[in-house]
Amino acid sequence: MVSFDVVAEAGEARRGQLQISDRTLETPHLFPVINFYAGGNEGALFGGGVHRTIKEFLAHDNEVTGGEDYSDLFRGVMTSISSLADYGIREKKLDWYLGNEIREWDCFSDYNGMIFADSGGYKILKQGGLEGKDFEKDIDQDKALDIQLALGPDIVVNLDHPIHPDDEFEDRIEKMEQTAANAARFAERRDEVDGACYLTVHGYYEAMLERSFDLIEDELAEPIPEAFDGIALGSLVPRKDNVEVLVEAVSDCKREMQQRGYDDLPLHVLGISGNAMPLLVAVGADTFDSASYLHQAINGKYCVNLFETVPIDEANFDSCECRVCNDDFHRARMRNEMDDLYQKDILGSVAAHNLAVQQRELRKFRQLIAEGDKDRVAEYLEEAVKDQKGFRKFAYQLINERINPYFEETDTTYA
Amino acid sequence: MHKKPQVNEVNEFIEIASDFEDPLEVIREALSNSYDADATQVDIKIEQDKEGRNTLVIEDDGHGMDEDDLSSFFDLGNSNKDDAIGYKGHGTKIYYKSDEIRVETVKDGTRIESVMNQPWAKLNNRELPTYSIEKASSDEPSRTRIEVHGFRAGQGFDPQKLTYNKIEHYIKWKTIGGSTAWHFTDDFHRMDITVELSSTIDETRDQIQTDNRLEFSPENRDPDGELVAEKMCKHYPPRELTVALDDGRELTIEVVGMVGGKEARNELPTYGKHSAQFGIWLAKDHIKVERYNDAIGADNEFFHFFFVANCQELELSANREKIRNKSGDVYQAITDELDRFMTKVCQDSWYQKYIERRKLEDKKRSIRSQESTLEERRQRTEEQGGLSPSNSAEVIAMLERYSANGAPETVKIADFQMDDEVNAILDTENGLENASLQVKLSDFFADESPLTHIDRFVCWKLGDLDALSQIERSSYMGESIRFDFQNNEVRYGDESPKLIPVLELSEKVS
Repeated sequence: MVSFDVVAEAGEARRGQLQISDRTLETPHLFPVINFYAGGNEGALFGGGVHRTIKEFLAHDNEVTGGEDYSDLFRGVMTSISSLADYGIREKKLDWYLGNEIREWDCFSDYNGMIFADSGGYKILKQGGLEGKDFEKDIDQDKALDIQLALGPDIVVNLDHPIHPDDEFEDRIEKMEQTAANAARFAERRDEVDGACYLTVHGYYEAMLERSFDLIEDELAEPIPEAFDGIALGSLVPRKDNVEVLVEAVSDCKREMQQRGYDDLPLHVLGISGNAMPLLVAVGADTFDSASYLHQAINGKYCVNLFETVPIDEANFDSCECRVCNDDFHRARMRNEMDDLYQKDILGSVAAHNLAVQQRELRKFRQLIAEGDKDRVAEYLEEAVKDQKGFRKFAYQLINERINPYFEETDTTYA
Repeated sequence: MHKKPQVNEVNEFIEIASDFEDPLEVIREALSNSYDADATQVDIKIEQDKEGRNTLVIEDDGHGMDEDDLSSFFDLGNSNKDDAIGYKGHGTKIYYKSDEIRVETVKDGTRIESVMNQPWAKLNNRELPTYSIEKASSDEPSRTRIEVHGFRAGQGFDPQKLTYNKIEHYIKWKTIGGSTAWHFTDDFHRMDITVELSSTIDETRDQIQTDNRLEFSPENRDPDGELVAEKMCKHYPPRELTVALDDGRELTIEVVGMVGGKEARNELPTYGKHSAQFGIWLAKDHIKVERYNDAIGADNEFFHFFFVANCQELELSANREKIRNKSGDVYQAITDELDRFMTKVCQDSWYQKYIERRKLEDKKRSIRSQESTLEERRQRTEEQGGLSPSNSAEVIAMLERYSANGAPETVKIADFQMDDEVNAILDTENGLENASLQVKLSDFFADESPLTHIDRFVCWKLGDLDALSQIERSSYMGESIRFDFQNNEVRYGDESPKLIPVLELSEKVS
């Protein structure tokens, strides 16, 4: 059973509850990307360096968590089938990995968050399939879904052919048609999925998104809401640093969904997190996924807030309110003050902190939306971008156009 | 032992009085003093006699001065006005640049007359001038009249320098007469101002009658017409921005302004270079001091904006021309908040429409200009009876025409790269050929381009045959060269010369 209920709205931002079987997720939500399988064996939670440390957080490994429960950071996670081949594994190991669903392994048996299994379209199509040490597998929609289902996911998404901003028109159409064909095939196997099916759409502005929806609708044998439980907007990663493009794309996607009567479906934004999230929530995005929290940590960066990072050795853990930084155990780890620490232990705590910072902002936003006051949303956005010189004009533009005009048309009175 | 530092009083007076460079600053000080004295009317007269001696007379209906006030008037740095424009006690020292200062003032039933003789001459003689005081009872209402005789205005008050127009704009731009305070309070202290110049200075009009309110150009948000963006104007209503400093203090910035096109802006007062006065002005006592155009950001042009942001926490130099506390946290906090405020203004939908409309109108003007250029081109084409190539695209068109009209060979453009030496690859009966396609063949050689990869020249005309002939007489890039136009070829090199055919289209295409 899948349902998405909007429980509160503030302007275009909405707070929702995504219910899939017996799991519930409060939205807006960020799905942190987790590599469940990273070349290792079960005893090492299937390996992956810092990825492994994050899995140890997820699986309540007391040696890593310091005894605290950090499951609130992982109420819903994203994993991609394309990451299965990231570690040059042999086919035998791949088959072994896929022999059990994620929660069927003892180490993950207690994990009760949602698992969103991405098809990894971008990476798979770029590499031409899944390529390990002794195998190459062409991946089509059926094979992608087979692998996704083997993970035991709560949410799956069709294999898409992401577009690129520099694509020629003809190339873009071809990719959209391939995505539409995949979506149709995916919909045919809808009954095999014991969870939610998301549909990918692509585009940077309304006309492009309109075409993406049209092509999919033409291919499908039934209306989108009957075949799919959510919409996933893709292809935004190449424009992840251009918040204006991101806001326009999400906003236009929402408009298309409204016009086509799909507004009751949740909207997921693939591959985006960080500073753009509040603005995208303000225009109606419900969920996100990203590995940026990990990549930042791997690159030695500690998030001060959604906008700023500092090198880990310059971080002031005492001024951070997140649970990780308020835990002596993790502060000692991040300061490299404990014996026999591996780099993955230090960076794992930093990654958890980076994730906590992003989750904290979304939690605040959920509370604000629950108040149902769009002025409070505007205040929150203003405060968030207060010192972000290059970024704030986009926030102000959004507030001015979508929430509250700063200068009313009729506002000509003087004191 | 402790020693007390000494002050050279005479030098200090000279120094402060000399800080005032623009003689019109005397008007600013007079208006500030009258305003501080709660005057509702101030009248200023400036006279110049035939010898160029200036006399200023300033009269106001303010609360007048008692003996202590008069001391502050003449003393240096001894203002008794804590919360006033002239709190430093520097401003009136501009009057010292004169032959005589005469003050007549009535306060609380006492009339005081005071005279200071030859203040400037005495100061320059290293002597501290003194002033007389005569007191008498009076039943007159409070008032003050100040006469400054022989004011040293340099050439500033000369008829060719000083006009009513200049003073009026100065008052609105540089003095309390251009205050934006009235936007922020219902209890505004209004002061009417008149300025009269003697006929020896300007006799073109009657005296100036104004008040202490800066008014923006009339709003014109959506004018009718086709090319009207320059007339557009919107007022941005007064806003009080509050900023908390790290030490807990709270600053208030009072900001008000307008955005407008050139015609709208031209209706504003100006002093100095008009175009250099727009943008964001930081003000104290609601009098503009310095611009801070960084607040507008690089995406926008400052000249569309005229905003005044007042903050009483700004500290000014003695002549009020500069902000002194720029390196402190107060200034930083003010400018940070202004950055935010102006970013919001720049996101206002009217402003965005105004900018869009300007762009659209620029395009329309450009189309009109193109239309007239087009007309000229058509006329020229008719006169010359058809295409006469002046660029490579037109040479390509001619080449196509040549191939299509019974040429002995078919030569087509297979590829074209504008700036390359081998700019064209030709599809010929012999296969692909590397070619240089030129309007004039001589242009190729004028650029001293290498011939290494060129199989053929295609040109509209040969061009400057004398220039080519001159190249033949010397050498071309170290090798001999011959232009054989009988056989339409270029022969290049000494030992095994390379023959490069030349296709001259003007001879072959009618």
